[in-house]
Order: sequence, then C-alpha cells, then structure tokens
Amino acid sequence: MSLKNDIIDSVRRHAQAECDMPEISLEAVKYADPVSEFVEISRFVGGDAIILKDGENINTLIRTLYPEAVTVASNMPEISISTCNPDAADDPHNLNGIDLAIVKGEIGVAENGCVWIPQNVKLKALYFIAENLVIILDRNRIVNNMHEAYEYIAGTGYGFGVFISGPSKTADIEQALVIGAHGAKSVTVILS
Amino acid sequence: MSTKHAAAARQFILNREQEQWHNETLWMVRQKRDNMAMRIAEWEELRELAGKIKMHTISRLDHYLELFSSEAERNGATVHWAKDANEHNEIVYSILKEHRVKKLVKSKSMLTEECLLNPYLIEQGIEVVESDLGERILQLMGENPSHIVMPAIHRKREEVGKLFEEKMDSEKGNSDPTYLTRIARKYLRNEFLTADAAMTGANFGVAQTGEVVVCTNEGNADMGTSLCRLHIVSMGMEKLVPDLKSLGVFTRLLARSATGQPSTTYTSHYRRPGEGCEMHIVIVDNGRSEIRGNSEHVQTLKCIRCGACMNTCPVYRRSGGYSYTYFIPGPIGINLGMLKCPGKYSDNVSACSLCYSCNNVCPAKINLAEQIYGWRQGLDSIGKADRMKKLMSKGMKFLFSHPALYRNALKMSPAINLLPRFLVYSKLNAWGYGREMPRFAGESFTSMWIKGKVKKTNRK
Ligand code: SF4
Repeated sequence: MSLKNDIIDSVRRHAQAECDMPEISLEAVKYADPVSEFVEISRFVGGDAIILKDGENINTLIRTLYPEAVTVASNMPEISISTCNPDAADDPHNLNGIDLAIVKGEIGVAENGCVWIPQNVKLKALYFIAENLVIILDRNRIVNNMHEAYEYIAGTGYGFGVFISGPSKTADIEQALVIGAHGAKSVTVILS
Repeated sequence: MSTKHAAAARQFILNREQEQWHNETLWMVRQKRDNMAMRIAEWEELRELAGKIKMHTISRLDHYLELFSSEAERNGATVHWAKDANEHNEIVYSILKEHRVKKLVKSKSMLTEECLLNPYLIEQGIEVVESDLGERILQLMGENPSHIVMPAIHRKREEVGKLFEEKMDSEKGNSDPTYLTRIARKYLRNEFLTADAAMTGANFGVAQTGEVVVCTNEGNADMGTSLCRLHIVSMGMEKLVPDLKSLGVFTRLLARSATGQPSTTYTSHYRRPGEGCEMHIVIVDNGRSEIRGNSEHVQTLKCIRCGACMNTCPVYRRSGGYSYTYFIPGPIGINLGMLKCPGKYSDNVSACSLCYSCNNVCPAKINLAEQIYGWRQGLDSIGKADRMKKLMSKGMKFLFSHPALYRNALKMSPAINLLPRFLVYSKLNAWGYGREMPRFAGESFTSMWIKGKVKKTNRK
C-alpha cells in the first residue's frame, strides 16, 4: 500500500508553476427583499416557504399543512404536536416510518432556497428518512447568496451540516422530474 | 478508415427517433443551464474565479493534501492513500472486511467507476447496491453510465418499466416515471435499512476544515451515510478546494451548470463521524499527479464533473455516451481518455467539431477544445492518424503550394456537384463518408473577380 509520502512525493515530482489564489471579492447577487425571493425560489425547487403571521400558532399551522401525519417527530420544545422525541432513539433504523419531522434551520439562502442545518438532532437520519420535513427558520436569518452563507458558517463548528433546498427529487427516468426520491417527499420552510 | 466513435455513432443514429430525443433532451438541459446563468449577473466572474481557485489549488496540491489530511484526521476520520485503482479497491475491501460488511450501499461516484470497484467487490463476495436511481437502473441492466450526471439518459421509460416488472415486481405495462420512482423508493429504502456500510464519492474536499462535501438531489448519499455506522469516501486528489470561502464559488456553479437547478437538493458537509461511527477517506491518485506535471493538459484537473460540456456538445448529443470508448464521454472524457492511454482511446478525438461550445459553458473554464485540437495534431506521432485523411491532406498541401494546379482544381470542382452520390460519398472520400459535402459554387471567386462580377457593397 502507498504511504501518504509516496503520493505527495509524486505530486511534488510533477511540478507546476505556482498560480496565485484569486481574491474572492465579487459583487454577488443581492435582493431588495430576500424573504420574498426565498419564498419564490423555494416553490420553484418544488418545496414551499410560508411566512408565519403575527399571532399565528405554529403548531396549528403545521397541523393544517399536514393533517394526515400520524407520527410527528421533533425535539423542539415549542412543537407541541410532536408524537415522539427523535432523540430518544438510539438506532437510526428506528426512525423509519416517521410521517413528519420538524427541525430547526439556521440560515436561509435567497438565491437558491437552501437552508443550512448543522446537525441539531441526535441522529442525522431524521432529516432524510422522514416522509415529510418542516424546517423552522427565523426570517431575519435569510442571506442573499452562498458567499454570505459560508461566511457565517465558517465561524461555526459542526460535525455534520447540510444545505437542503426543497424536497428530494430525481429525473433519472427520461428526465421527467419526480418529487420524492429517497428523502422527504415534501419540504416546507416556515419563516417565523 | 473510420474511428470506433464514428462507427458506434452510426449505430446510434440508426434509431432516428431516439437520436432526436437524446439531442433535444440534452439541449433542453443546456437551456436550463443558460436560464440559471443569466439570472446571475456575476456568472462569468464566478467561472473565472472557479478556474483560478482550482489552478491555484492544483499548483499547491502537495500543501493542500497535507492540510486536508491532517485536518480530516484531527476531525476523527481515517485517511488512506491509493496510488492507483488497484490500491483503491484493495483499501476499500480491507476496510469492509475488517468490519464484516456483507452489503454496501453506494451513491454515485465516477471515481469508483474509474477504478472498477463494483466488479472487484462483488468478486470478493460483497453485495454492492447502487442507490442513485439512474445508477441502480443501469446496475440491474448490467450497463455502464452513458453520461456522468444523467447516467441512464440513453434508456426509455418503457425499458425501465419492463426492468422493474422483472426485478421489483412492479405493475405490468406501467411505465409512468412517478410510479416507477415510488417503486424504486420502496425497494431501495429496504436496501438502505439492511446495508452494513455506505460509500460516497466527494464533490469537494475542503482543505482548511478537512471536510468532505457531497451533493445529491435524491438524498441517497445521506440515507446511506446516516443509517450505516461506516462511511467510506472515495475522493480524487483534485477535488480539494482551499477553504469554505472558495467552496461558495463552486456550490453556486455546480448545480446550475449540471442540471440548471439553483442548487442540488442536498449539499452535505461531512466533517466528523457521528458517535460510534467511522469515516474513512480514500485519497486517490491514479494518474492525477502525473497530469499535474503536464502543462498542456493540467487544466483537466479543474473538472468538477458537472456534465455541462456533454449537454452542449453537438457530437455527444447526436451520438450518445456509448459511442465513446472511454468511460467518461464528451469533451472532458476525450481528454481524460487520452491522458489515461492515448494508444487505446485515440478514437474519441475525432468526436469533436471544434465548435468550442464546451469551453464556453465549462464552469471551471477548462480549455477543452484546444486540448482536443492538440491531441489531433499529435495523432500522427502515435501512429493513430487516419491514413486516408492523411493522404488527402498531403494532396491538399501539394495543391495549396502549387497555385497553378490549385486554380485548375478549383475550375474542376463544380463538377463534383454533378458526380453521382455513390462516388462523392464513397469510402475513398473519408470526409464525404459521414458528412454532407458542401455544394461547390459554379464559378470561383477569383474568376468572378477577374471578370469584374464582384461588386463592392457599402457596408453601413
Ligand atoms: S470539463 Fe467542465 S463542463 Fe465538462 S464536466 Fe468538467 S467541469 Fe463540467
């Protein structure tokens, strides 16, 4: 088996003139109203984003959105409709069959509908295995573009983190778009 | 003499309907890419940056490899080094063996295709399940991808329906893509739940933080890696970017270039293995370090495998991925094949009209067309030039350097218009065979000029 040094030596032997790292200081896209841009693009990518109205109860809203969900998993204290605490499970396999997971997002990105979720549940399988996913996001934490998002992220620590933009999808059969490949079949971002 | 590419392309276009569908579908993806690019005012600036960041990283690859591996190890991952495909496969197998893995679920990885990992593992008795829908379809059909992002683009829904009837007990005659995807979801959910280990490729490795970034739409990489305690990452050494700030440039470009989406559904950042879990990263050379020293072709290492150069390529669109003899088709595949083994893959260099469209869409600004042109110029030196075309080129050179003969030949050329097709398009005319010949004008420009027939027009 090769050792690290063998490989790095081979890289050094095949020399390349050094090229400078460019300054990443571009004027990236910004929106007059990042929140409405985020809502629009979330729909474009097959998901949805809903602004929680003043005085509206978040649990009631989720219930009306997902009236048929039987097993609802969330570790968020403000979610009273959850039927199980996903953090009580030791084995991710036990999370299979959850109808709806409700989780917290950190940052929303207006240019592509991504929500950054640094792992904030015990088993990260929850984000992917649930049939439907609700992400609760503070509407004041929507940035314009990925540069701004990474600027924020670079200052944080995480073991695992994921940007999610809409529901799981595929177009592998004749390029026909189908929502709901392996992950959540629907994703709703609630902007609190 | 025609190349293997030309011969295979001839087969592909026999099915006119399929050829047209393939052409139009990929062109639609190209247009979706354009729509996305046009929404971003700084698009060209992003491409410029991406190309420069990659060139910088490659030029200091030794440094970034050191940094990445030490950070990854600090995060708790185990880093392995493979100089070639064999070592890569042996490393992966030894990790699996040590963990007594019987079933491995994989997400799409061109590198494992490059290393022929699946057949190797299957031979060792490991059950290997591809989990990307397109890859799974092909695995069940016993085929290879014909596109690096849309692997099963050459297959029709009816064929998939038939396959699923046989393998997944789906309804007879139902080839609705939504129905078939649901069937596959159920079927593969079970595979995820019963797998012992998960394997992914890497879209990016972030040197400063030692994390691996994987982008998918289906969520299959994440299903595998979050259900299994063992995650093996197979990563080409050129996948590194310096830091999260530079990563932002690439995550903005990748999905827009690949499928015309603003982002992939999932952009997963694997930094530390979860509690009680293991993460192994296999860093693979397999010829890459050598390419680094090749100033004419070093730019191929900038590739982020988005597939945009295939979608835009008029030759790829109308000849299909299987016409190429290297496992990666299209403009980037032509170059990578030649870098792998020029004697074996030179048939592909003819699969280019030098339209330069690939150069113009490549998010990493790789000079794909110039490189292909360069290979063609070198074909003679490896004894792979087309003998017939060479002979004709010699003849033309002789004509061009003898003005009197050339003028005479020109006078005769309109006669070609009158020749029966079987003569013009015979195998003796290597250019006429396989393409439509232009009609020669009845009178040459020189003769019209002399007779004063050419009028000056005032251009405004
Ligand atoms: S060469 Fe450029 S366009 Fe082609 S796959 Fe690679 S990055 Fe994409």
